Amino acid sequence: MAALIQTLVFGLLIGGVYALMSTGLTLVFGVMKIVNMAQGAFLILSAYLTYSLWTYAGIDPLIGAFIVAPVMGLLGVILYKGIIERAQRIDAGLAIVATFALALILEAVTALIWGPEPATTTPDYFNQAVHIGSIAIPKAQLYACIFAVVITAGLAFIIKRTWLGHAITAASENPEGARLIGVEPARVGTWIFAISIATTAFGGAALSFLYQFVPDSQDGWIGLTLSVVILGGLGSIPGVVAGGLVLGVAEALTSNYVSVQWSTAVPFILILVVLTVRPQGLFALHSREDVSS
Amino acid sequence: MKRALLRGSAKRSSRLLALLIGVLALAAYPVLSDNLYVQNMLILTFILAIGASGWNIMGGYAGYISLGSSLFTGLGAYTAGILVADFGVPPFIGCLVGGVTAGVAAALLSLVTRRTRGMYFVIVTFAALQLFGLIARNWKSVTGGSSGLAMPLPMWNIAYQDWPFYYSLLVVLLAAIAVSVLIRRSKLGTGLFAIKDDEDKASGIGINAAAYKMIAFVLGSIFIGVAGGIYAYYISFITPAGMFDIVASVLMVLAALLGGRGTIWGPVLGAFIIEPLSELTTTSFGGPNAGSFRLLFFAGILVLVVLFLPKGLIPSISEALHNTARMGALRIARGSSSSGASARTQVAGERGASAMAGDALKVSGLTKSFGGVKAVNDVSLRVGAGSVTGLIGPNGSGKTTLFNLIDGTVTPKAGTVALAGTSIERASRARRAHAGLARTYQLPRLFDSLSVIENVVAPERRFSLTRLFLPRMSGDERDQALDVLAQFGLAGFADISPSDLSYGQRKLVELAQILSLDPVLVMLDEPAAGISPALTERLTAIIRNLNGQGIAILLVEHDLAFIAELCDNVFVMADGEVVAEGTVAELTGNAVVVDAYLGEPAALGIGKVKS
Repeated sequence: MAALIQTLVFGLLIGGVYALMSTGLTLVFGVMKIVNMAQGAFLILSAYLTYSLWTYAGIDPLIGAFIVAPVMGLLGVILYKGIIERAQRIDAGLAIVATFALALILEAVTALIWGPEPATTTPDYFNQAVHIGSIAIPKAQLYACIFAVVITAGLAFIIKRTWLGHAITAASENPEGARLIGVEPARVGTWIFAISIATTAFGGAALSFLYQFVPDSQDGWIGLTLSVVILGGLGSIPGVVAGGLVLGVAEALTSNYVSVQWSTAVPFILILVVLTVRPQGLFALHSREDVSS
Repeated sequence: MKRALLRGSAKRSSRLLALLIGVLALAAYPVLSDNLYVQNMLILTFILAIGASGWNIMGGYAGYISLGSSLFTGLGAYTAGILVADFGVPPFIGCLVGGVTAGVAAALLSLVTRRTRGMYFVIVTFAALQLFGLIARNWKSVTGGSSGLAMPLPMWNIAYQDWPFYYSLLVVLLAAIAVSVLIRRSKLGTGLFAIKDDEDKASGIGINAAAYKMIAFVLGSIFIGVAGGIYAYYISFITPAGMFDIVASVLMVLAALLGGRGTIWGPVLGAFIIEPLSELTTTSFGGPNAGSFRLLFFAGILVLVVLFLPKGLIPSISEALHNTARMGALRIARGSSSSGASARTQVAGERGASAMAGDALKVSGLTKSFGGVKAVNDVSLRVGAGSVTGLIGPNGSGKTTLFNLIDGTVTPKAGTVALAGTSIERASRARRAHAGLARTYQLPRLFDSLSVIENVVAPERRFSLTRLFLPRMSGDERDQALDVLAQFGLAGFADISPSDLSYGQRKLVELAQILSLDPVLVMLDEPAAGISPALTERLTAIIRNLNGQGIAILLVEHDLAFIAELCDNVFVMADGEVVAEGTVAELTGNAVVVDAYLGEPAALGIGKVKS
């Protein structure tokens, strides 16, 4: 029983982090109807930047995240303006191909800068634990999850309470109407991309002390973040939180009761199963227009 | 005309000659030269060309992009590898079975994507590739895990070099091209192009999109699987990373996009450019970073192709060459269009001629809400067999939503729909079309990848597997369609793209198109809106004529004169409900109707409303 509780706690904590990592993906899809296949590459690049701040300046990853996030946001804007927005204007179907090409470019650049050796940051909490009775709560996961909750809540605040957030909601729900009230969807797109990639950078910072990573880890992370957003329903932010938690727990259970090797297959299996059975996501109330019933 | 035909056939035979020379040159190469470097490069080029051509059937024809097609390379390779290593099956037989495995996997993935569209296909193919890579890595007892699986070394005389690989791949490539050609020329091809242009509309004219997509995906994947098996045998060692390789997938996409997706030779041309480039980069980028530079190089080209050459080489070049010729053809079409615009045409087949008694359409209690708004609320109406029934109401009163509920685009919350006495509310869109339900749209929806006459022939009256492999258009079908087009005054436009037509002409083509369904009921959504008075007159005559053949018509229109002239019975909708029913004479001055139109009195044309 204790082992089960331990596994669940672990799964929920990591699930919160998964939600943070996937929020950017769902936000971009919700507004721009683009599946950003470079999500994993943005995560890994952010993790490497956090890693460099840690190794060269001794900056804690959770603090470093606040330096990395604006840099990544800016990079997001440049790539959006330079490539993705143009590709989407030419052919919406090709935009997704362009984002995947971008993922490979980022992977190659990361490999050229940081090399193929596995990296990870090691702040002093990365291998400590808090004990509650017989349950051990690893500090790294705990801090990462708290961090994820704070950042996601901040993002939710921006979307619910600020003008920018209302503009984003308007542009995603009704682009024509948004234009009438002076919200240019294309400009909102730029903001969305900036915010999404910056949010992703926070996820990458958490990744840097939770996992070892190499440049081509990005493949696996695209799969993982895709699985989170598909579980929750593409485009839904509350869905991402639910999807993250479900995936976290499912993975933890698999690695504890089946095998660690097979736990990496969980996200991909979930993608295929959910799209077969309930393509609008497990937590969506309404079916989507692009999903026929 | 004759000269153009001659020129066409001369062009075709010169193209055949070029093809023959190309194939002969490739076939003769290993015999004439013992350069193993070039032989190896050609083998890898064939593999990429097969991959790109296989990808193209789904990605180019149907517009469903896959980022995971090396999944089939891997499945083919592992099937062949396991059969050969564990069961002693002859290698080339193993490769063929590999193709079958790939086809089965594609069929299963089609079931996964059955309910979704567009980008979900990208996600599914990507996830499947990663999943199978993991399975190959983890299922060590069968696949050998990361350390891989060895294939037996070739048994043939060393003097034959790699000929068996070379020739078998050449044969598979030619087969893949031949199948691509046949699909393009068949009804399957028409359907796939229709799906690419507008899948929703394609279902509405009876095309069973799920079946079409599955067949396309399976056919393309079989070739990739066979090539994967041969590739495994050729390099004699199979690893998960080498076979289920996402970069190999991306190269297939790149080759197809670069050469021109949707064309027959584009993917092949692309492969003949990309693979030699790939060889060049392997030899010229050295050192520990070679892999990263290659990745950067190819991903960079992919971005450039997407941004600056999205149609690919072959379409871009032929477009540039034919631009002037096309202008000429258009001028000829314009010249001949004015003749022969009588509206008498015999389109109704078995169904329309045997005009049945009772109702063509009976809708009861149909309800649908979007969010909190009841767009259609408890609507019941009937269209008598052989009648012309009008449906009027102010904008936003739910007329188009009602059409969408009847034809199955939108699923109702409650209510029943019966077509000629058969209940259809549970049937798929294609099924409803097969049953004889046809509609046009407010803004006409035609397939721009097909010619006008192909648009007219595209509808399917029933689904049958054998029909898919019939030629795109038989002589009979062409004659019939030409006849209808001539009656509509559009004969001169048969062979151009509908995108070159005027708005009003597009509306007429759409009407001609849905008549190919041999409909019981035709639903017209504002057919007269925004078209010229001359066309409106022609339209009135056409509708009369159709009605004369026993086809029932449900007509949404704002032009009351038009309604009054045609309709026996009229329903009035307001705020999602039917508020009145009767002849136009009965409804004129009806208080409820006037009330419904208060917002826009001009539209009803019954004078100033008392307020």
